[in-house]
Amino acid sequence: MTTEAQPAADARLAHLRAAWIHGENLAALVLFSVLAIVPLLIGGYAIYILPQYMLLGVLAMSLAILWGYAGIVSFGQAAFFAIGAYSIGLVMKYATLPINPAYAGILVGTAGATVAALIIGYFLFSAGVRSTYFVVATLALSIIVEQTVKSFSNITGGWNGLYVDRMTLTLGSLFELSLFDDVPMYYVILIVVVIVYFFTAAIMRSPFGRIVIGVRENEGRMLALGFDVPAYKTLVFGLSGLLAGLAGSFYATHANFAHPSNAGVLFSTQVVIWVAIGGRRSLLGAFAGAILVASLSNYLSSIKAIQNYWPLFQGLIFIAAIILFREGLAGLIDSLLRKLRHGRTAQN
Amino acid sequence: METLVSVATDTVLITLVLALAAFGLAIIYGLIGVINMGHGAMLTLGAYFTWWLTRHGVPFAPSVLLSAAAVGAVGLGFEHLIIRYFYNRPFDTLLLTWAFFLVATEVIKITFGTDFRNVARPIEGAIDLGIYRIPAYKTLVGALSILLILGTAFVFYKTRLGIKIRAMVQNREVAGLLGLNVSLMYKLIFSFGSFVAGLAGGLIAPMYSVDPYMGNTFLVRSFFVVIVGGIGQLLAGTLFGSFTIGGLETVLALFSDQVIAQIAVFFIAVVVLRFRPQGVFTGR
Repeated sequence: MTTEAQPAADARLAHLRAAWIHGENLAALVLFSVLAIVPLLIGGYAIYILPQYMLLGVLAMSLAILWGYAGIVSFGQAAFFAIGAYSIGLVMKYATLPINPAYAGILVGTAGATVAALIIGYFLFSAGVRSTYFVVATLALSIIVEQTVKSFSNITGGWNGLYVDRMTLTLGSLFELSLFDDVPMYYVILIVVVIVYFFTAAIMRSPFGRIVIGVRENEGRMLALGFDVPAYKTLVFGLSGLLAGLAGSFYATHANFAHPSNAGVLFSTQVVIWVAIGGRRSLLGAFAGAILVASLSNYLSSIKAIQNYWPLFQGLIFIAAIILFREGLAGLIDSLLRKLRHGRTAQN
Repeated sequence: METLVSVATDTVLITLVLALAAFGLAIIYGLIGVINMGHGAMLTLGAYFTWWLTRHGVPFAPSVLLSAAAVGAVGLGFEHLIIRYFYNRPFDTLLLTWAFFLVATEVIKITFGTDFRNVARPIEGAIDLGIYRIPAYKTLVGALSILLILGTAFVFYKTRLGIKIRAMVQNREVAGLLGLNVSLMYKLIFSFGSFVAGLAGGLIAPMYSVDPYMGNTFLVRSFFVVIVGGIGQLLAGTLFGSFTIGGLETVLALFSDQVIAQIAVFFIAVVVLRFRPQGVFTGR
C-alpha cells in the first residue's frame, strides 16, 4: 500500500512544485510588466531610483542562489558588487579602447567578480571548509575589498568614491543612444534585469540547480552518489559572483559613483536581510524583497520621527524572519495560496 | 636595537590586548560552539557603558566592572530569550547573534548618538625602559589580560565548576546523564563570555575612540585569533592566535602601512583557515 502511495504522493508533490515554479515565473512576469509601465505613469525621482533597487534585487538573487539553493551564506556579496562597480569606473576613466568603454567595463567587472568568486570558492570548498567558517572568510573578504579601495585613494578616490559616467548605448557605428536621461536608462536596466532573472531561474531549474539543492539537503548523500560537491559549490558561488558583479557594474554607471561602502560589511549584511525577508528559497522573493525593503528604508528615512528607529525595526524583522517565517515573504505568500487552493478543492 | 625592543614590546602588548578582546569569543565558541557574531557589539556596549559611567562621575575601575556586568546581563537575557532554543542549529545561532549586533548597534546609536566618544585614560604617562618607553595604560591592560586568562585557567583546571565544564565539553550527553545541568552551564558560559567581552570593551575604550562600529574590526580579528589558535584551545590557543595575528600586523606594518598590514593578515588568516581549520597546533 505504502509502496504504491509513495510514487503517487511524489508525483503530486512534483506537480505542486512545478505549479509553484510556474506560478513564480508568472508572478515575475507580472512584476516586470508593472515595472515596465511605471515610467509611463509617473516620473521624477521614482524613475531615477527604481533601476538601482532592481540592481539591488539582482544582488539579492546572487545571495538567494547560495543561501536558498546551496545552503551556503555569504557575508561578502558586497565585495563582488564593488568589484563590478570599481571595474567599470576604472575602465571608463583610464582605458582607451576601440570599443564602447562601458561595455568593456561591464565585461571586466562581471568577469572579474566571477573569477574572484570561483578562485575563492575553489580555495575554500575544495578543503571542505564548514559553512560557518565560510561566513567568516567572506566577511573578511568584504573588509579586505573595502580597505583596499579606501587605501589606494590615488586610483580609486578613497573615501570620496570614484566618479563613474553614465554609459552610452552603442551598436557599432550604426546606433548610439546616450543613457544620460533616466527613462532610457530605466528601460535598459529593466531589460538587463529581466534577462538575468529568467537566465538564473532557468539555471536553477536545470539539473544543475537540482544537484545544488541536493547538496543543501544532504551533502554526504550527494557525495556518495558520486557528485563532485566542492565543484558544484564553487560553480554556484561563481554564478553568485557573476550576478553581484554585473549588478555592481550597472549600479555604478547608473548612480554615477562607486564607493567603498559598496564593498562594506554593512552593505553585505543588508543583502542578507533583504533575502531573509523576501524569501531565501525564491529568486523572485529575494528580488522583490530587496526592492521592497530598500524602498521602505528610503521612504522611512525621510520621515524625521522614525528615521532613527527604522534600522532597529529592520533588525527585529530579521530576527523574526529567522525564527518564525524561515521562507520569508515568498514562503508566506506560497502557503497562503496553497491554503486557498486547498480550501477550494475541499469545497468541491 | 631600539627598533627591535620597540617591535618586541609592541608585539607583546598587541598580543595581550587582542587576547583580551578575543577571549569572550573564544569562551563562547570554544565551550558551547556558538559562533557569536554579536561579540563585536558586546565590546562596543562595554565601551559605551564605561564612557557613560565615567562621564557621570563614576571612577574608571568600577565603571568597567559595572559595564562588564551589564553586558553579561544583556548576554544572559539574549541567551534566555532566544539563543537557548537554537543550540542544536549552529547556523541559526550565527544569524541570530548577527541580528543581535544589528539591534544592539542601533540601540547604541539611538541612546548614545553616533559621534565619536573618548574615555579618558585612568593612568597617564609611560614606563621608561631606558631605550624605549611603553605606554603605562596599555601595560596595565596587558597585565589584566594575563590575569584574566590565568584566572580562567585556574577555574577551568582547579575547581569543581571547571571539572563540570570540561566534562560537558568532552561529552555533553554523558555529563547530562550524570546529573549535570547542561542548559544552566550553557547559560552560565554564554553570560560569562558576554561579561568578558564587555570587560574587554571597557578596558579598550580609552585606547581607541568609541563609536558604534568599533567592535567590528575586533570581531573579525577575534575570529581569526580563535581559528588560528584552535577552537577549544582556550588559554594557550588564544594567546598563540593573538600573537600570530597581532605580531604579524606589527611586523608587516613596519614594511608597509597599517591598512595593508591588516589586509595581508586577513589574507593569511583565510589561508590558515583553509589548510588548518582546526588550528595550527591541533592534530586532526
